[in-house]
Amino acid sequence: MREVSRDRIKAFLTLLPSIVLIGIFVYGFIGNTIWISLTDWGGVGALAEDPQISYIGFQNYVDLFTGFLEGRFRQDLVNAVYYSVLLLAGAVGLGMFIAILLDRKPMGEDFLRTIFLYPMSLSFIVSGTIWRWLLAPQGGVNILPTYAGMEPLSFQWLASKESVLLFNWQNLLGIILYIAAFILIIVGLLGLKRDPNRAMKRWILPGVIIGAIVWLFGDLLPQAMIMEEMHGLNLATLGIILATVWQYSGYTMALYLAGFNGISQDLRHAAMLDGASEWDYYRRIAIPMLKPITISAVIILSHISLKMFDLIFAMTGPDNAETGHPALNMYLTTFRANDFAKGAAIAIVLFMVAAMFIIPYLISSYRQQKGE
Amino acid sequence: MAKVELKSVVKRFGDVRVVHGIDLEIADNEFIVLVGPSGCGKSTILRMVAGLESISDGEIYIGDRCVNEVDPKSRNVAMVFQNYALYPHMTVHDNMGFSLDMAKRPQKEINEKVRKAASMLELEPYLDRKPEALSGGQRQRVAMGRAIVRQPDVFLFDEPLSNLDAQLRTQMRMELKKLHMKFSTTTIYVTHDQIEAMTLADRIVILKDGLIQQVGTPVEVYEKPANVFVAQFIGNPPMNILEGTVARDQGRLGVRTKRSFFPLQEDRKNLWEGQKVLFGLRPDAIKIGDSLNRIPPEWRCTAQVELTEILGGQSLLDLVVDDEISLIAEVEGRVQMQAGSSVEVGFCFDRVVLFDPETEEALSSVAQLEGTAEGTTPERDIAHKKEIEVHTN
Ligand SMILES: Nc1ncnc2c1ncn2[C@@H]1O[C@H](COP(=O)(O)OP(=O)(O)O)[C@@H](O)[C@H]1O
Ligand SMILES: [Mg+2]
Repeated sequence: MREVSRDRIKAFLTLLPSIVLIGIFVYGFIGNTIWISLTDWGGVGALAEDPQISYIGFQNYVDLFTGFLEGRFRQDLVNAVYYSVLLLAGAVGLGMFIAILLDRKPMGEDFLRTIFLYPMSLSFIVSGTIWRWLLAPQGGVNILPTYAGMEPLSFQWLASKESVLLFNWQNLLGIILYIAAFILIIVGLLGLKRDPNRAMKRWILPGVIIGAIVWLFGDLLPQAMIMEEMHGLNLATLGIILATVWQYSGYTMALYLAGFNGISQDLRHAAMLDGASEWDYYRRIAIPMLKPITISAVIILSHISLKMFDLIFAMTGPDNAETGHPALNMYLTTFRANDFAKGAAIAIVLFMVAAMFIIPYLISSYRQQKGE
Repeated sequence: MAKVELKSVVKRFGDVRVVHGIDLEIADNEFIVLVGPSGCGKSTILRMVAGLESISDGEIYIGDRCVNEVDPKSRNVAMVFQNYALYPHMTVHDNMGFSLDMAKRPQKEINEKVRKAASMLELEPYLDRKPEALSGGQRQRVAMGRAIVRQPDVFLFDEPLSNLDAQLRTQMRMELKKLHMKFSTTTIYVTHDQIEAMTLADRIVILKDGLIQQVGTPVEVYEKPANVFVAQFIGNPPMNILEGTVARDQGRLGVRTKRSFFPLQEDRKNLWEGQKVLFGLRPDAIKIGDSLNRIPPEWRCTAQVELTEILGGQSLLDLVVDDEISLIAEVEGRVQMQAGSSVEVGFCFDRVVLFDPETEEALSSVAQLEGTAEGTTPERDIAHKKEIEVHTN
C-alpha cells in the first residue's frame, strides 16, 4: 500500500512541470482566448497601452454567424468544410488506391514508395509555390493536353469566380439534417439484407423521422439574416485541394501500406480459398481491418485541413476571398484589422470544429482501452 | 468428394528446388498425412494443391481436372491454417459464412449452414463474438467450421493443432478424426508430429528434403520403414538401429553382433554372409520378464540397465548389450531396476528390419524382392561379386 502511494507521489512530481507548463501555455491561453472572444477588444484603441475592454457576451459569435459584414467568414467556414471533405476523400482514397497497387508487389515497389512519399517532406511554402506555377492560367497543368495534340485547358484553377453546390446560409441547419437523414437511410438500406430488424430500428427509422421533421418545419432556425446569403464550393479552391491531396496522399499511402503489410498473408490466402477476388479481399477484409488507420488518417488530415494556412498563403495570398480559410481570416482579423476579440472568436470556432472531430475519437479509443 | 493426384510435382523458389518430383495418388475420402521435419516442403506441397503456390513442374489433379492453371477459388478446396487465419474484424458467424457470402448464397441459407456447423462444433454460444474473444481451441474450431460450411471437395490442414497445448491437441485430434468419419471428405493433413500422423492417417507420406521417403498405412511405416530416416522419424522413442554382420550359424542365416548371433526368421536370398548391415528394432520389440516366454531362446541375450524411466503404464529402459550397443526398450508395467544390474532381454527378431549401411535403405524381404526383380542395384551386385571373390580366396 505504502509502496504504491510513494510511487504515485514520485510519478506526480515527475509530471508536475509538464502539467504546470501545459496548464499555463495550453489550457490557460485557451481560456484567455475564450475570455477575449467575449469582449469588444479591437478597433481604434486596440493597441493602446491600456485598451478599453468590456465584456459583451456572445456578440462576436452572433456577428460571425449572422452579421451582414461577416459574410466572408461564413464563406471561409464553408470553404474549410468542403476543403476538409474533399481533401479527406482525395488523400484517403488516392493513398489507399496507391497502397493497394503497391501491396501487390510490383517491380520497384521500394522506389515507387519513396517517390510517392516524397512530397510529404516538402514545406507547404515550397509545394504551394510549385503548384501556383503549375496551376497558372497558361501554366503546367493547363497546357498538359497540348502534349497530346489537344487544345489547352482554360480553367482558372486558383482564380475562378465560379461556385457550385450553392445553398442559403439561413437554411444551414435544415441542410445538415437532410444530409444526416440521407446518410442514415443509406446506411440502413445497405444493412437491410444482413439484419433487417436492426437496420430498420437504428438507421432507417431515425433517418426518415429527421427528414420528415425538416420537411415539415422548414429551416428550423430563426430568420436571423437580413437577406438571402448564398454560399457554395468555390471552384478556385480546387487548385488548393489538388495541391494538398498531392502532398498528403503519399502519407496516407504509407499508412495503408504499412497496415497491409502487417496483415498475415494467410488471411489473404484464406480469403482467396473462400472465393474472394482481389477486390473482395480489400473491400471485405483488408480495408475493414485497417479501420484504426483510416480513423487516424481522417483525424490527422482533418486537423491539417482545418488549420491550413501556409499553403493557401503561398498559392493565392491571404487576401483572395475566393480561397479564404478561417485560419487566414483569423490572422487578417487579428493582426491586420486589430480586431482581437473577433479574431479570438474565430480561433474558438476553429477550436470547436476541431474538437468535433477529436472528441468522438478520444471517447472511442478510451472505451476500447477500457474494454480490453 | 474427389481424388487428388500429384504427378512429378516440382517446386522451385528461384534457383532453389524445394520439392523434387512428388508422385502421389490420394483416393476419394482418404485421410492422408504428410509428415516430415520442419522445412521438408510439406506446406509447399499443400499450398500447391490449394493453388497458393504455383507448380514449377508436373501436374496436380483434383478429381479428373488438372488444376495447374486453376485459381484457388475455383478448386473447391478448404484450408485450415496453423494460425487459424480468422478474419479478426468479423464475428464467428461471419467468418464461417464468408465463403457462402462470396458465392452469393442467400442470407437464409448462409444462416442455416453456419448454424448447423456451429452446433456440430459446439460453437453456437459464440456466433456473435469476434475471434479475439475466443480461446485457442475455439478459434481452431471456428477455422474448421469455416472449412466445413463450404462442403469442399478436399480439406487441407497445415499443422492445425501445433498452436494448442498438449491436452487440447489430443482432444482436437480425436474431434478431427470424428469429423472426417462423419464427412468422409478427402483430406490432406500436414504435420511434423508423428503421433498426429499415426493416429489420424489412413496413409502416411513421410517426406525429407522435398522427397517422399515412404507412403504407407501407419502400421506399414511403423513395422516396415523404407529406410533409416523413416525408422527413426516414426515412433517415439525411435527405432533402435544397430550394426551387425550377416552370418550363418548352424545352418540358419542371421545377424552377428560383437558377441551374439540372432538368427533371422526366414532365409533371405538378397543377403550374403559377411555383409555389413544395420538392423532396426522397435523399442516395443524388446521384451523382459514375463513376456520373455514368447521369445525363442536364440533371440535372447543379457543386457545391462543404464537407466529406467517410468511413464505411467509403461517403462523405458536404457540398455547396453555386448558392452557397447545402446538400446531403448519400452516395456509394459512399472519396472524399477538398479542402474548397472543385468537383465535378460529378448528381441522379437521376427520384426527386425535390415538396412544397407551405405544407402540406409531397407533391404527388402524376399517377398518384396520377387515382386521387383530389378530392385537390386548394379553396385550391390558388384559388391556381391567382390564378396564372393574374397570368400573363394
Ligand atoms: N516463398 C518462399 N521463397 C523461398 N523459399 C521458400 C519459400 N517458402 C518456403 N521456402 C523454402 O522451402 C522449403 C520448404 O518449406 P515449407 O514447405 O514451408 O516446409 P515445411 O515442411 O516446414 O512446411 C524451406 O526450406 C523453405 O525455406
Ligand atoms: Mg509448414
